[in-house]
Amino acid sequence: MRGKALSVYCAALYGLLYLPLAVMFAFSFNNARRNVAWRGFTLKWYSSLFQDAELLTALATSLKLALAASLIACLLGLLASYAMARHAPFKGRGLYSCLVSVPLMMPEIVMGVGLLSFFARLGIALNFWSLACAHALIALPYTTSSIRARLLSLKDCRLEEAAMDLGASEWQAFLKVTLPLAGPALLSGSLLAFTVSFEDFVTSFFIAGIGIVTMPVKIYTMMKFGVTPEINAMASCLVGLTIVLLAGNAALRAYDNGRRREI
Amino acid sequence: MRFLSWLIRGKSPKASHLMLAPAALWLLIFLILPIIGLLALSFIQRGPYGTLLWSFTWGNFSRALNPKYLPVLLRTLGYASSATFLCLLLGFPLAYYLSFGAGRSRGTLLVLLMVPFWTSCLVSLYSWMIILGRQGLLNHLLLKLGLAENPLALLNTPFSVLLGLVYFYLPFMVLPLFGSLEKIPRSYIEASYDLGAGTWATFRKVTWPLCLPGVFAGCLLTFVPCLGDFLTADFLGGSGTYLLGNLIQNQFLMAQDWPFGAALTTVLTFCLTWAIFLHQRFEGRELEMRG
Repeated sequence: MRGKALSVYCAALYGLLYLPLAVMFAFSFNNARRNVAWRGFTLKWYSSLFQDAELLTALATSLKLALAASLIACLLGLLASYAMARHAPFKGRGLYSCLVSVPLMMPEIVMGVGLLSFFARLGIALNFWSLACAHALIALPYTTSSIRARLLSLKDCRLEEAAMDLGASEWQAFLKVTLPLAGPALLSGSLLAFTVSFEDFVTSFFIAGIGIVTMPVKIYTMMKFGVTPEINAMASCLVGLTIVLLAGNAALRAYDNGRRREI
Repeated sequence: MRFLSWLIRGKSPKASHLMLAPAALWLLIFLILPIIGLLALSFIQRGPYGTLLWSFTWGNFSRALNPKYLPVLLRTLGYASSATFLCLLLGFPLAYYLSFGAGRSRGTLLVLLMVPFWTSCLVSLYSWMIILGRQGLLNHLLLKLGLAENPLALLNTPFSVLLGLVYFYLPFMVLPLFGSLEKIPRSYIEASYDLGAGTWATFRKVTWPLCLPGVFAGCLLTFVPCLGDFLTADFLGGSGTYLLGNLIQNQFLMAQDWPFGAALTTVLTFCLTWAIFLHQRFEGRELEMRG
């Protein structure tokens, strides 16, 4: 399994992984209505993209939704992981850490139809906030694991104890020592949560109702009813955004690891 | 301030519970209750025009297993297990390379593996439709190269659905495999070589058994989402590749038969729980073997 053959095989596999993204990117500059042959370079799909009011609304909705969901998930994740990482062992801790990973394991369709029938049964309106709550649920495992890992790694540092020896109250030590130290992990968890919410299609598809159209839902409708090359342009922008978010996350982690070594 | 300090100090379990409560409530309201609700719904009769009749019935489940729908269930299990097997087959060499051969480029390669995984699957689906279509890129290429005389039907076939599933879930397989290959102490492998074992014997007797937990985790992480996937079959499959996910989606959004849809979802959740249970058992045995 060693040697050149393996590297060639892996290069080919990576090629295959990136083939759809490359094709989509290339065709977003194609001057033809159909994605078949190359008819010259154009930027018109990008320009029509930024004039399409419906698309821009969908984009704005997705961004707002992702922001709300990641904020909720980050706050819930911070509280829960603080208790789990810093407090003395307590009843229910194990149960919670099992439960919080369930959204990762469940096929999204189960959560989608579950929430749909739950909301309908209780007469909860399907609006922006019900969707944001559902997105926060999907994002919760990501923020929790990121923040918990960071808090656990700080355990031996005893920096808070030093702060308290110097006269700070627990709350001051938390605010001035723990929170800044956990900051990068908080941000990186939120970025992941943001990405999860922004890319989510299945849950939004089931419970968005008629009022809310997120970007992935909009792409779905475009794919179902009348394919336009604008999708290529839009998808390229989305992939670009994903790469920026992931790169931001990676950079934060690298920065955090570097700082941890200093401490 | 006192209260906050008390909360943060966490000397009493009450403080811990109070801090855990918001997230726990969230899980209860948006995860547990909906799933219990689905389970309850699956034992209820459907009234006319999609209304609910509140009387107990096994009917939804027996309907899920009748000859009209049983093939969908079996087909889904078939697709999910073949996709899992293919992911293992294709992904193992990659995971092996990442942990043993990649050297300095490993970090970059891992990030590169994550990008398609984080990209909305709709985007990649759309792209595969462009590539595989009758007038798509691949057929274009095959015709140009003279490898085919007429455009091949690549889209809307079991082939395209399987390709889509493998494409989407390959990273779910590779990452756990990488994780467990990474944990194998290199000295074990060196010791095996020192004791005269060849490459193949070392792989079979040392590397493979030690990375089995990763294999099981990867298979689980690939198999479970494959079971529920409905987008791949929706866009890349034809009528012959109608899967459980599509059937569930249809019952909830088109047919308005929520109880039957809920029963199908319960079956899906049952398959998933069973897969997790199997995984745990293998994990347990694995630990015993090592213990």
